[in-house]
Amino acid sequence: MTFATTLIVSGETFEMAYRFGQVAERELAGIADAAGQAACIERLWNGIGELGWMGTAIPEEAGGAGGDLADLAAIASGAGRAGLALPVASSCGVVPALLAGNPVLPDVATGAARVAVILPGAAQDEDTGGLRIRLLNDGLTLDGVVVGVETPPNPTHALVAAEGAEPMLLLIPASSPGVQTELYQRIDGRLAADWHFSLVTVDSGWIVARGPEVPERTAAARDLGALLTCIECVSAMGALIEQTIQYLLNREQFGAPLATYQALRHRVADMYVEYENLRGITARALRAAQSGEPSWQAIAFAKLRLGEAGRAVAESAIQCHGGMGMTEELPAIRLCKRLMMAEFEFGNRVFQAARLLAADGRTSTAAAD
Amino acid sequence: MDAAIDYQAFRAEIRDFALAHCPPDIRAVVASYRKLSRKVWYPWQRILFEHGWGAPSWPKEFGGTGWDPRQRVIFDEVMAECDCPPQYHHGLRHLGPVIIEFGTPEQQKRFLPGILNGEDWWCQGYSEPGAGSDLASLRTTARREDDHYMVDGQKTWTSHAHESDWMYTLVRTSKEPKKQQGISLLLIPLNLPGITIRPIRTIDGWHHVNEVFLDGVRVPAANRIGEEGQGWTYGKFLLERERLGGANIAPHRKALERVRELVATELAGEGRRAERELLQHRLLLAESELLAASELGRESVEAVMQGNALGMLPSVIKLGTSVTMQTISQIALDAVGERLAPRFRRVDGAGPNAEEPGIEWVQNYMYARVRTIYGGSSEVQKNVIAKQLFGI
Repeated sequence: MTFATTLIVSGETFEMAYRFGQVAERELAGIADAAGQAACIERLWNGIGELGWMGTAIPEEAGGAGGDLADLAAIASGAGRAGLALPVASSCGVVPALLAGNPVLPDVATGAARVAVILPGAAQDEDTGGLRIRLLNDGLTLDGVVVGVETPPNPTHALVAAEGAEPMLLLIPASSPGVQTELYQRIDGRLAADWHFSLVTVDSGWIVARGPEVPERTAAARDLGALLTCIECVSAMGALIEQTIQYLLNREQFGAPLATYQALRHRVADMYVEYENLRGITARALRAAQSGEPSWQAIAFAKLRLGEAGRAVAESAIQCHGGMGMTEELPAIRLCKRLMMAEFEFGNRVFQAARLLAADGRTSTAAAD
Repeated sequence: MDAAIDYQAFRAEIRDFALAHCPPDIRAVVASYRKLSRKVWYPWQRILFEHGWGAPSWPKEFGGTGWDPRQRVIFDEVMAECDCPPQYHHGLRHLGPVIIEFGTPEQQKRFLPGILNGEDWWCQGYSEPGAGSDLASLRTTARREDDHYMVDGQKTWTSHAHESDWMYTLVRTSKEPKKQQGISLLLIPLNLPGITIRPIRTIDGWHHVNEVFLDGVRVPAANRIGEEGQGWTYGKFLLERERLGGANIAPHRKALERVRELVATELAGEGRRAERELLQHRLLLAESELLAASELGRESVEAVMQGNALGMLPSVIKLGTSVTMQTISQIALDAVGERLAPRFRRVDGAGPNAEEPGIEWVQNYMYARVRTIYGGSSEVQKNVIAKQLFGI
């Protein structure tokens, strides 16, 4: 009997997303060149657009399916199990949440609008103070550079939460004067971009929101992204453990299957404990988010755990695969790379720990129980 | 299951009672993390017994409360939250259910009341010098002579034997091809001739475990529980009964809170800010592990309530929380160690080995090492998990 990990979310939507992810995984794995990869990701993006993934949580009157967090969780869980190389948490969760009520929403739902989200604290090559809005010659101007922003293929917009005298959430067309992007592929197959904004004159039509509500909305959206990322990674980690077990059962060395060696068996048992703990703490955060009293602390603790567990399990899986763990041949190792990159999405472990410490983390822990 | 139970009201009821009736000096001992003894346990057991809560895990007809598994876990959680002694006595949790299931009516009448009201104190005679994790290799023999057994052998790691009246003991009554066969369960009064109890000096400086030597001890055959040779089955039954034991994460969370306070007071002030924050960060990681474990505990209770199998959950929780508790004790040691570790001294005999305030953090660090050894060592748990994962 083959071992199967417990799923955090199951059901039809999960199955659909998982099937799509598996086909995508096989397709991408068979393409060696960068241009081919890019074209494939473009096709996949169109595919999930047709399936309505981006519209999952968008209201029906705005062209979406009117679903809720449970539906998003099912998609994240299914996509995560296959390590799908598309920005699921961002495009299906964070973007629609930040653009609620905006006229662009129907285009977001179809996938025609391809929005990259730039949250406060986005990475920079040099500390230039992030993206700032300044008053220049009677007009507002946006200036600055951010790097490594996860993105859909050929982004049409940047959704920027900019700091300044008055915080603003801006939806900036990528084709605007002074805006430049540089796209590349990350090790987990996903696309990222560096964005250069050189004295970009802010068009009043770009303003999605302004004032004190912006930090609140962006913080909530980041937490949604972090939660969906954790859900993806629970699935990815479960699949990784299953595949590692299969590998150890099949591969023989010194005349016996690797699965008979206690050192490896114990290592996999440790991976499983990490997995179960991540599954538990993520389920707890999901439950809290679905309750009347959402708790950012519950999500911060889950993402903190993912930071620890994700890398530990990925490293162990690579070790268990021996030399094969260093190659790009196996789906398992591609899942490892996905787990390693998830750490850098929606606040890494240092970010999460810092904000929990600043808030004196303990006030919160009862919230989800 | 009774859908009408209001668990929140139940929790509040237990809490109110505990805060109102558990003597402050007893709660102070629990709160200071000293190793508990019969002196601390007994008065509280007596109070609970008189209130009708003497045996949360027993059926009503034997004086138990008839609570469902969720209520029992809630009870344990509240005990920890209120610094009451955990109601975890060997007689109550381990032996009682075995007597109820496999004992004769006479044995039930003879032994259950004393367990319930706390008058009889029990210890568990399982481990031997040559049978630790591999318990079935035990060699203490019981030779039948008329209506008695003649018991010879040695038990070890016997918690609380020095303050117990009785020891329920696994003995070998016959040699069989399989080592799990030929084992029987005997109830042995510890005042019988031929019994010698010697304290084992442990690295934490507390006296809690002993060696028990059995040298031609004559035990009435009427003290055998169940069939001769079926002792292993009863031992396993006992472990099955305790499978929800790990679901209660409240003591761990309490420990975490205590150490968080310790770090804040011990490393107070701007001058120690960096040290304090380093330890606080480690506590945060420990907290994330405990939050995960509470969720798995919650799942376990749910599963038992639904009558579903627990699978690997108990092993996963045990593996994880034992290490987290060690981590928490390490953090406490890092907070006070420079000041207190040098003053932690070996002493002869029983009892706390120093009156230095705070020395228990050092003792606790040493004691915490056992958490990955007892109750199925981490290595045994990993073997159990791996067997399930690999199917071989």
